[in-house]
Amino acid sequence: MLSESVGITQFFVETSWLLPVYGLIGALLSLPWSTGLVRRTGPRPAVYLNIAMTLLAFGHGLLAFRGIWNQGPQELLFSWFDFADLHLTLALDISVLNLGVLELIAGLSLLAQVFALGYLEKDWALARFYGLMGFFEAAMSGLVLSGSLFVSYSLLEMLTLSTYLLVGFWYAQPLVVTAARDAFLTKRIGDVLLLMGVVALASLAGSLSFNNLYEWVKVEGLSPAMATLLGLALIAGPIGKCAQFPLHLWLDEAMEGPNPASILRNSVVVTCGAYVLIRLQPIVVLSPVALGTLIVIGTVTAIGASLVALAQVDLKRTFSYSTSAYLGLVFIAVGTEWPGVAFTLLLTHAVAKALIFMAVGSIITTTNCQNLTELGGLGGKMPATTLAYVTGALGMVGVLPLGCFWGLRMGADFLSGDYPVLAGVFFVVNGLTALNLTRVFRLVFLGNSQPKTRRAPEVPWPMAVPMVTLTVVTLLVPLIMAKLTLLPPWEYINPPVTALMLVSGWVGVAAGSRVSLSKSLARSLNRPLRIAQDLLAYDFYTERLYDKTVVAAVSSLARLSNWFDQYVVDGLVNGVGLASLFGGEGLKYSASGQSQLYLLTIITGVGLLGIFMTWTLW
Amino acid sequence: MLSTLILIPLVGALVLCLWPGKLESKTAKLISGAALAFTLGWVGLLATQFELATPGFQFEELLPWVEPLGLSYRLGLDGLSLPLLVVNSLLGLVAIYITDPKLHRVRLYYVLLLVINSAVAGAFLAANLLLFFIFYELELIPLYLLIAIWGGARRGYAATKFLIYTALSGVLILGAFLGLVWLSGNTSFDYDSGLAAALPLAQQVTLLVALLVGFGIKVPLFPFHTWLPDAHVEASTPVSVLLAGVLLKLGTYGVVRFGLGLLPDAWMALAPWMATWAVVSVLYGSLAAIAQTDMKKMVAYSSIGHMGYVLLAAAASTPLSIVATVFQMISHGLISALLFLLVGVVYKATGTRDLTVLRGLLNPERGLPFVGSMMILGVMASAGIPGMVGFISEFLVFRGSFLIFPVQTLLCMVGSGLTAVYFLLLVNRAFFGRLAIAPPTSTPQIDLVLPQVSWRDRVPALGLAALIVAFGLQPNWLARWSEHITLVLHEPYQGFVQARTQFAPARPPATLADALAADTALIAPTLTLPLPTASVPVDP
Repeated sequence: MLSESVGITQFFVETSWLLPVYGLIGALLSLPWSTGLVRRTGPRPAVYLNIAMTLLAFGHGLLAFRGIWNQGPQELLFSWFDFADLHLTLALDISVLNLGVLELIAGLSLLAQVFALGYLEKDWALARFYGLMGFFEAAMSGLVLSGSLFVSYSLLEMLTLSTYLLVGFWYAQPLVVTAARDAFLTKRIGDVLLLMGVVALASLAGSLSFNNLYEWVKVEGLSPAMATLLGLALIAGPIGKCAQFPLHLWLDEAMEGPNPASILRNSVVVTCGAYVLIRLQPIVVLSPVALGTLIVIGTVTAIGASLVALAQVDLKRTFSYSTSAYLGLVFIAVGTEWPGVAFTLLLTHAVAKALIFMAVGSIITTTNCQNLTELGGLGGKMPATTLAYVTGALGMVGVLPLGCFWGLRMGADFLSGDYPVLAGVFFVVNGLTALNLTRVFRLVFLGNSQPKTRRAPEVPWPMAVPMVTLTVVTLLVPLIMAKLTLLPPWEYINPPVTALMLVSGWVGVAAGSRVSLSKSLARSLNRPLRIAQDLLAYDFYTERLYDKTVVAAVSSLARLSNWFDQYVVDGLVNGVGLASLFGGEGLKYSASGQSQLYLLTIITGVGLLGIFMTWTLW
Repeated sequence: MLSTLILIPLVGALVLCLWPGKLESKTAKLISGAALAFTLGWVGLLATQFELATPGFQFEELLPWVEPLGLSYRLGLDGLSLPLLVVNSLLGLVAIYITDPKLHRVRLYYVLLLVINSAVAGAFLAANLLLFFIFYELELIPLYLLIAIWGGARRGYAATKFLIYTALSGVLILGAFLGLVWLSGNTSFDYDSGLAAALPLAQQVTLLVALLVGFGIKVPLFPFHTWLPDAHVEASTPVSVLLAGVLLKLGTYGVVRFGLGLLPDAWMALAPWMATWAVVSVLYGSLAAIAQTDMKKMVAYSSIGHMGYVLLAAAASTPLSIVATVFQMISHGLISALLFLLVGVVYKATGTRDLTVLRGLLNPERGLPFVGSMMILGVMASAGIPGMVGFISEFLVFRGSFLIFPVQTLLCMVGSGLTAVYFLLLVNRAFFGRLAIAPPTSTPQIDLVLPQVSWRDRVPALGLAALIVAFGLQPNWLARWSEHITLVLHEPYQGFVQARTQFAPARPPATLADALAADTALIAPTLTLPLPTASVPVDP
């Protein structure tokens, strides 16, 4: 009996390559509905198929997780392409951590898909949305299981593509068009740099599986310059994917997409980018410059995005900036070589942020509005949503010992020894986030009802069920962490740092509840304050800066080469053509019919030829 | 065996010529389609008989022709030409399938298409330099006529430009071939990799430059490229598909077969310059593509950018980069054919290709959602998104060339990033937004209903898309044919590759199984670990 159950568990572990495939199958199965081949049934069958597939992935993952928990990590290898000195294998690392993250992705994807059933109920392209979500989920699941940089890179690109398609879901809207474009191109910049790193690593190390790379790094004495270039190239991909400065603009714009996709994008998609970064960390470590860059970028993004979030009037955008900020903290943790901190932060943040975005989705569904200045007084009218928001908010910051508290505390604790300044960044981000969450809470749930929030019933059950479920999960996160022995034992809790974390959180809450908020006057009347507010509201004018620099440079170069093509290259060609035509036209006048002239021409020609041929004799 | 590939289309053409009475468009399409379907089947048959492990030509045919001249009818098939022959037959079939049934001068049109197909097959099969040249020139006249008769408004200009450029290319290639054979004191023009072995370097270099310029016009490479956008814009859709998918490949095929294969010493001397030339071509083509507002012109400029990768990979001449040239040729053939096909459908449905007036074509009921979805797939394949053949070919190009020309390879990758820029602009402008065929205004165009694309018209696009995805997921299906020929082509370059390999060399395979798997690779990595300097004696 026992051996049988071990055999079955082993079967689930060995077939865990199926885990990413489920989503893909869902995406393919929904094709008949999304392409309009099947119209009679409406898009619902595609929805149910995708939800069923995700459920299957979740269940299978759970069984495999139990198997791995008892047996220890395994590696699945599939040879894919061998040619000359190139060996590309599809490697999957089946470990407790990877499967745990996969479960998180599958679980959140499941909840988001059920949520979308309510959110997008009346959308004509429901089947397409679910197909894309299946593809999205498949790419993310594959990414966390991947044991090879090649697979990771490929899946990152797939994520870029599916982000583009999901952001561009409502492609008829002008803002969506630019948002999708920017999302693709910004990530693509990071991806191309990452590809440079991948190609370099593939050429130098000969293998792209993470384990081989780690071995290679130990024995290979790369020159510092090379290591730096390599490290910088490798971190570029995650910078784009995690919406870090300077490639952060896309996440803000991506909020134009449907909210259920935003739930995933702000929680697990950015996590996937950071996941690749953590996998790459042992290689990036070769270069102190790259590590320093990680820390600087993380710090700049964490503080900058926290500040920018404060000045946003869009419900979704303000939280997307806070995502960037938290991922900045993750970057700091990776840069200071504390991957444990990075993991804890990523996973706790993902749960809490997903819940907040669900609450946001409920608010948008009910009020058809995401402008903070037009919301208010929803507190009593939407109890489940209010509860979800409050739980998510508490889970995000260090005010109560819920999810993110532990990650933040751990980071501040570990960093306080070597880098007290960076530990300070954790406190500041915690305080600013608490301030922002309180500000949004007051604007949305407190105060008087506004025209758009006067009739605000609670959301229907397809949205309420996943939201309430996730609320419970968020409350249970500390318990789950304790069960997985992720919480520190009592004697290791550094009381001053922990206290400071709580204080910074409560100071933020207090400030948020005291700060004056005016709905009729979103911009302050006080001029210096207004300038600061605009600076933050427009994200330090980064977009305009890019328009003036990178975009302008590329487009003027493009116009220059087009001009060069038309007038210089082609001009030369056409010029030669014209010259030969005119030459022919001109020469025809020399045919006068006078034999003397012909004779003269011949004699001159032969004479010149004679001189030329006998030139050396003279 | 091999002559069948040349003869069947000619027989088809002959039947069309001699068809009694008025030739209906449908009949002509059927006959020529049958001829090309037969050749496609025949190539498939040859592929099943093809021995993967035999280096050199297979199914050789030899017929003495003009012996005093050294011209013989010698055909041979190897891993370099086989995939290209498949693409030739396939795209020929696609071109015939998508031809407008209401065309005028039906007989001439289909005859010309078949002659092109036959000539291109002959060029890919020729194992004699003069014979190659004859086929190379033979394809020129029908294409000129196809552009000049069934082209757009400026077809006269474009066709003449094409003719002059390609004729010049032919003269240079003929000159190089004559020089190569006569200088080396040979009497036969038969293909032989040792043809130029005795020539001094200076002569080899001169010959190679002539060859490179000659084929560079055809590829096309900057600055010899301006005929291509004009020809594409004026040519009808089927001709564009053929031009981009097959005829450009004659140039890259020539570069690899005759440049890389015949003139190794000169090739090694010029390789860094060629890699730099490739970078210029890639970046120039990509940047120029960004500025285009005509969809077709944009795709045409993208061809210039993407064909540059072939030159980079050929210059690097590692086994991997040589197989990458085959990959890139096939992938560009399939992808650009798909893109031109779709642009053709858009043009047919809307009457314009102008990116400043087209928008919102993805509209599900009134627009062209199928074309839009396929277009997204095509541009993503071209931009190198994994899962499609464009990615693996670019990856092979970059991975194969990186150690030899690191800077040039990195710059070419920038070109790959630029591909995403211009194609995304294309999709975003023409397919996203609110449906309209007019410059942006505040009032939406609500009376616009575009004709639906029938399933009959969807077949070729679906087929090409399926191939693009299939080879992207399973590149072994493409690589297996070319493995041995790349090793043969690489053989003279072993020393060059090792000497130029920058940084540390790749580590030898760790296990015996790996070693066995890798032993076909002639690039045996030196067992002494890190190489001290870049100048290492040639390891035989």
